[in-house]
Amino acid sequence: MKTVKDVLPNLIFLIILFIIGSSVEGMWQPIALIIFYVALGQAFNIFLGLTGYVDFGYVAFLGLGAYGMALAIQNFAHLGLISIAIGVVAGAIFAAILSLAVGGVALRLRGAYFAIATIGVNEGFRFFIEGTRLWGGTEGIVLSGFMRKTFGSETTNLLSTYVSDVALFFVAFISALITSIYLRSRIGYALLAMREDEDVAKVMGINVTKYKILAFITSAVFAGVIGALAWTLKLTYVFPEDVFNIVYTVEAIVIVMLGGAGTLLGPLVGGTFYALLKYYLNVVFPGVQLLILAPILIAVVVLFPEGLVGYLKKKVRGTKLEEFVR
Amino acid sequence: MLLRAENLRKSFGGIKAVDGVTFEIEEGEAIGIVGPNGSGKTTLYNLISGIYLPDEGRVIFEGKDITNLPPYERAKLGIARTFQIPRPFGNATVLENVAIGAMFGREKLSVEEAFERAEEYLKLVGIENLRHKEAKLLTPLEKRLMELARALAMKPKLLLLDEVMAGMNPVDVDRIIELLKKIHEEEDIAIVSMVEHLMQAIVKFAERVIVMHQGKILVEGKPEEVLNHPKVIEVYLGKKVI
Repeated sequence: MKTVKDVLPNLIFLIILFIIGSSVEGMWQPIALIIFYVALGQAFNIFLGLTGYVDFGYVAFLGLGAYGMALAIQNFAHLGLISIAIGVVAGAIFAAILSLAVGGVALRLRGAYFAIATIGVNEGFRFFIEGTRLWGGTEGIVLSGFMRKTFGSETTNLLSTYVSDVALFFVAFISALITSIYLRSRIGYALLAMREDEDVAKVMGINVTKYKILAFITSAVFAGVIGALAWTLKLTYVFPEDVFNIVYTVEAIVIVMLGGAGTLLGPLVGGTFYALLKYYLNVVFPGVQLLILAPILIAVVVLFPEGLVGYLKKKVRGTKLEEFVR
Repeated sequence: MLLRAENLRKSFGGIKAVDGVTFEIEEGEAIGIVGPNGSGKTTLYNLISGIYLPDEGRVIFEGKDITNLPPYERAKLGIARTFQIPRPFGNATVLENVAIGAMFGREKLSVEEAFERAEEYLKLVGIENLRHKEAKLLTPLEKRLMELARALAMKPKLLLLDEVMAGMNPVDVDRIIELLKKIHEEEDIAIVSMVEHLMQAIVKFAERVIVMHQGKILVEGKPEEVLNHPKVIEVYLGKKVI
């Protein structure tokens, strides 16, 4: 029950976002962007936040998830909308398998060495798909026409403009819930010990590799689901150069660090802040938005090295608000 | 017999840090390991707790060969240790530090049980008033006490203390010795305490003393005998010329 209480602020925040998006004219689009980044941050936080390890190949899990959904729609469309559910599961499984393979090897390395080892994963996958012409190679998988034919135009529109976004609200909430369950369990304490001092954690009976892999797979599974929903289902196509784009990994890192790594509310705050900046700077200063975004991000990181929520958490320690900022 | 080290050897480059060490520890024994700086004491600890693997030799714990076991499995069998320079989980609270010991030590405790056990051991070492403080904010003495509580919460059968009294004033040294005696009586664990100096302190606590020098065991035996042994005096003070 405690874990449910921990994520209550997250739930309220998400409901407010949803209400704003569905009631205010023209707000659904920015909210959809926000929820994508929030979900991405929540998923990545399970790994980066709990272990303190940086995975530069993280977007590969989203990419594989996107392919999982595309293949499921291609092959199971005759089952109707069940194929979408199969796609979500397939995306999760694809990501889980890759994370097990990568994590099983690379997570035996420490900190910076792990980060270096993972850089190759994403690029490697992209070139593998392009080079072997697997799943359409560079031409990708384009589903829009096929989906319209099998599901009908209206359903396809609904799926890509509404269902995919709404589903991300659930992903964002469930990944926060899992984070809170982990944090309150032995898993959370094992990873806390590991973050603080890996050698001491080992001497104290903690099989650190096991817990790192667990956090890695959990995080990857959510990434796979996000890739399946936010990319394939929403855009109705998959291109390797789009889905294996390292920019998303960098954005995920920024969001988690901005909000506060390892906090429950951090990705929510970080994702919202980042998405709003990105969206409105694009509107107000088209062309130079990144030039303005960068100094703002640097300023926030310098002012709040532990992230916005991390800072707040320290401020409210010992007060009544403590329970609500996790 | 609780632990047996057989002919342990470990070199770093050309330096033989531990050079053919064999000794035994009985259950519930209180042992002091003494030796000047660089005599291989800490390396010996690292070989027993599994941070290093030996180049040669075996480590037997309760009749089982643990020479190649990873550290976390040794901890689960009942080997706990502290560090020369305390290594607390700095951003966690004191209570969390100790609870983590209870959670992953010899008995697998649930989170709630572990926090209850942590309270007990904080009381035992006398720092229960610091339970919600971040561990990095503690004084050196408090850090040592916390590490001791953390190791005890693991319910070990063998506790390896690394310079637990180094750099302390006499009052604190006495306090720690009293604590170690109390723990030794109440908890029924074999305690190995390693010191570089502070011979008087180790005499008060240990039933048996092992003196190390240049990676080898120099002398072994009853505290008073060992510390007055000519070889030991020579190692520490040099040879009498006249």
